[in-house]
Order: sequence, then structure tokens, then C-alpha cells
Amino acid sequence: MALKSVLRRMTLLDRAIVMVLGMFAGSLLLGINSRAPGENILVEREGKIIFTAPLKEEREIRLKGIRGEAVLIVREGGAEMIEAPCPRKVCMGMGRIDQDGEIIACVPNGLLVRIEGGNEPEKTYDVLSR
Amino acid sequence: MTFSVAESSDLERARRRIFLALFTALAVALNTVEVLLPSPVPWFRLGLANILTVTVLLLYGPRAAWAVTLGRIIVGSLLLGRLFSPGFFLSLGGGAAAVAVMTAAWKLCGARIGPVGISCLGAAAHAAGQMLLAWAILVRHDALWQLFPLLLLASLVTGVLNGAVADMLLETLKGHPAFAGLRDAGRKNSSR
Repeated sequence: MALKSVLRRMTLLDRAIVMVLGMFAGSLLLGINSRAPGENILVEREGKIIFTAPLKEEREIRLKGIRGEAVLIVREGGAEMIEAPCPRKVCMGMGRIDQDGEIIACVPNGLLVRIEGGNEPEKTYDVLSR
Repeated sequence: MTFSVAESSDLERARRRIFLALFTALAVALNTVEVLLPSPVPWFRLGLANILTVTVLLLYGPRAAWAVTLGRIIVGSLLLGRLFSPGFFLSLGGGAAAVAVMTAAWKLCGARIGPVGISCLGAAAHAAGQMLLAWAILVRHDALWQLFPLLLLASLVTGVLNGAVADMLLETLKGHPAFAGLRDAGRKNSSR
């Protein structure tokens, strides 16, 4: 069996490394997925917030990025990118986001869409200084 | 045929150079094929080129691994037309972190660590280095770190598989006469 032949090629330390890394990644994954549903949607371009709206309102937003226009759709309390001008469509592949702190990043286009919880105060201006 | 000592060491050096060039070329090829492959999620990469980095590290030592990795990233980016683009710097950061960690592991743990362990650590370091660089130069936002556990988990799987392939490759290569003078030469070269 393939798994057996892989195991045969691993030393004791190899197995320990794989286990430790696996547990580390697993615990990080669990820690991050316990989030509250978000309330607002924010869009940043090169560190500046260019658009913000509550997630409850359904809408289609055309976003001007560095490369061109992207289309973001907000519906049923979540957001998803449905059109992007970049060649690899990474942001579209990121799917739908609806939880506090989740993001859709469109690197070539310089866009970052994120969701924030409603009651939290705005604390993002620190990063604008560059 | 007889060789003097000097001649045979010259021969060894030339052979080493040629093999390094071949390994780099192969790494570039794997890198390019990988980019062309469809992938289920955009940030997921197989990291096939790391097979060759691990192999070279174990055959020829850290300096050779650095040469192959940097060569692969620069030539690979040239081929794909993304030299000095953000993606290039991400590759560079990931690659440098991977080689640094793999070299450290190889030096610290010696024979106790095999290709699979080295490859896993390298893959994890690649993920971490790339994340760090993405955070530093592209999107300076903490939310970016959400991707990290997934990236780490994926890198673990590909790390084990690539490590196993590297081990098979090493097994085959070490049995070949062209690498006969090299048994454990990686360690000797590194102390030079």
C-alpha cells in the first residue's frame, strides 16, 4: 500500500515532525473557525477603505481596482466576488465569506474585502500611515 | 585510464556543476508545469520543485540547495513573465525560508532526520515565509493569517509526498555510478 511505503521512508524524527506540525495546524484551524457572524462589509484598496455597507442589505458592487473592475455580490448575510479582471481569479476562488474577520484578497487588483463584527469599534486606521 | 588526484577532483567538480545545472533545470520545469496545472483552490501548490531542493541538499549540501532554489525561482519567474512581480517576491520569501529551515534541520539533526521530515519542515517554512511576506508587502491585515492553518495543513500533506519522492530519487541516484564519489559528500562539502 502507498501509505505503508511512505511510512517506511520516514525516520522516527520525521514522524514526530509531521505529527507536531499536524497538531499545530489543526489547533490553529479550530481556534480560527470559532468566529461570530459579521455585520459590515468593508472594501480596501491599497490600505484605504473605499467602500463599506451592512451585510444585511443585498446589493451588487462594482469595485475599481488597480487592474480593472471587479464585481462583489452581497446577499443573505454573506459576500462573494463574482467577477475579477485578474488572470488567475484567486479572489473568486475564495468563495463566500460571512463571518467576522474573514477576507477575500485580490492581490493583483489591490483589493481586500473583509467583514467586521458590528459592535466592535473601528480600529483599522493604524495601518493607513504608510 | 589513469587520473592524477588533481584531475579526479577537477572531474568531480565539473560533474557536480553539471548535475546542479540539471537539477536547477528540472526544478524550473516542475515549477512551470505546476503553475499550468489546474488547482482546486488558488493558494494551493504542490511544491514539486522542493523534491529537487531536498535531493540536492542531501547530495551536495546547503550551498547547492541555495543555488538550485534561487536559480529555480529567478529562471522560473522569467519564464512565466512574473520577475519582480508580487508573486515573485512571495516565491522568493517562501523559498528562502524553506531552504534556511531545511538546512538548519539537516545540520542539527544529522542522520536522524530523513528526506520526508526535511521536506515537511521546508514546506511548512515555505508557507510561513510566504505568509509573512504577503503580510509585509501586500495586505497588511491580520485577517490574512486565517489562511495560514489551511496552508500549513496542505503543505504538510504535500511535504510528506514530496519527501517520499525525494527519498526514492535519492535511493536511485546513490546507486548510480555517477554519484559514487558522493556518498555522504554533502556533509563534507558543507564543512568546507
